Amino acid sequence: MIGTSSALIGAVVLLVVILVWIRADLRSRHLPSVLDQWLPDQGEAAEVCPPEFVSQIFSGQDLRFISRLESPDLKRHFLRERRAVALLWVQQTSAAIRRIMRRHLEASRLSADIEFATEARIFLQYTQLRLICCLLILLIELAGPQRLHGMALYTDRLTQRIGDVLREFASGARLREMDGA
Amino acid sequence: MGATVRLVPVQEAYEDLLNRTLSRISCNLGRLIYLASTRDYNTGNYYHEGLASRFSPEVARKALEIAHQQAFYKVSAFSLEDLASDLEAYLRSSRENPQQFLRAWQKLEPYRVAIPTEANLTVARLFASNLRLALAILRFRQERSH
Repeated sequence: MIGTSSALIGAVVLLVVILVWIRADLRSRHLPSVLDQWLPDQGEAAEVCPPEFVSQIFSGQDLRFISRLESPDLKRHFLRERRAVALLWVQQTSAAIRRIMRRHLEASRLSADIEFATEARIFLQYTQLRLICCLLILLIELAGPQRLHGMALYTDRLTQRIGDVLREFASGARLREMDGA
Repeated sequence: MGATVRLVPVQEAYEDLLNRTLSRISCNLGRLIYLASTRDYNTGNYYHEGLASRFSPEVARKALEIAHQQAFYKVSAFSLEDLASDLEAYLRSSRENPQQFLRAWQKLEPYRVAIPTEANLTVARLFASNLRLALAILRFRQERSH
């Protein structure tokens, strides 16, 4: 009986998580504006969001200011807007990580000397980042971006670190190729 | 060496733009809107007659592009409180009817054209989102005061 109840509770929790996930994903794709039609092309725009803006998006400062105005409508408006921007940042970060990893895999295929330990470390960092991004999407929807300031900054630092490691890896591979030639 | 030679007149043109034109505009949002207005909607190229005649069209274009990027990132980094104050200063400097101004800006979103072509997508969204909120804040204050 206890087993059946636990399984049922587990299934309900899983269903809620999936629904929140789908909602968050849809929300990040359809922001409440006509901006989608004219904003700069994502491919051409600067790839990584500067860290000071990540800090700003997830900061509680603006929420405290809005709360002082004592307008429930304004507060709702603010939470909706900031959540959409935070979700977009997660999507952009996730896409940047995928792009970095794809470039790395293409470079690795052409490289003659691949170190297993380095590759494993890069893959682990990549997996960790992807998981954090998935978690962030869920938590932004459930708790709001203002409570995730530290986690967002950690994700941003890790993304930059993996980018730096792979850039070093690529330049090292080029040097080795030049030495070999 | 070539790049250094090219950068010097751009720096001079940029400083000229700051001292002669932008310093006369009282608020950051006003400077941003002004710089965006020097961009041709059809080509995305920047043009300023005075600057182009003092330097060259190419140097003026680059200086305007840099100034536009900087003004955009500066306004985007404002807290909501600071942005609302800056928007209020811009509204006052326009000398338009505040109600009409707010209604038009909320409906037409003219600030969309102030986003540089090469802006980061998330920052561009943050900018537009914050401006929507700043407009809502000014409207709320106006309604509460009446």
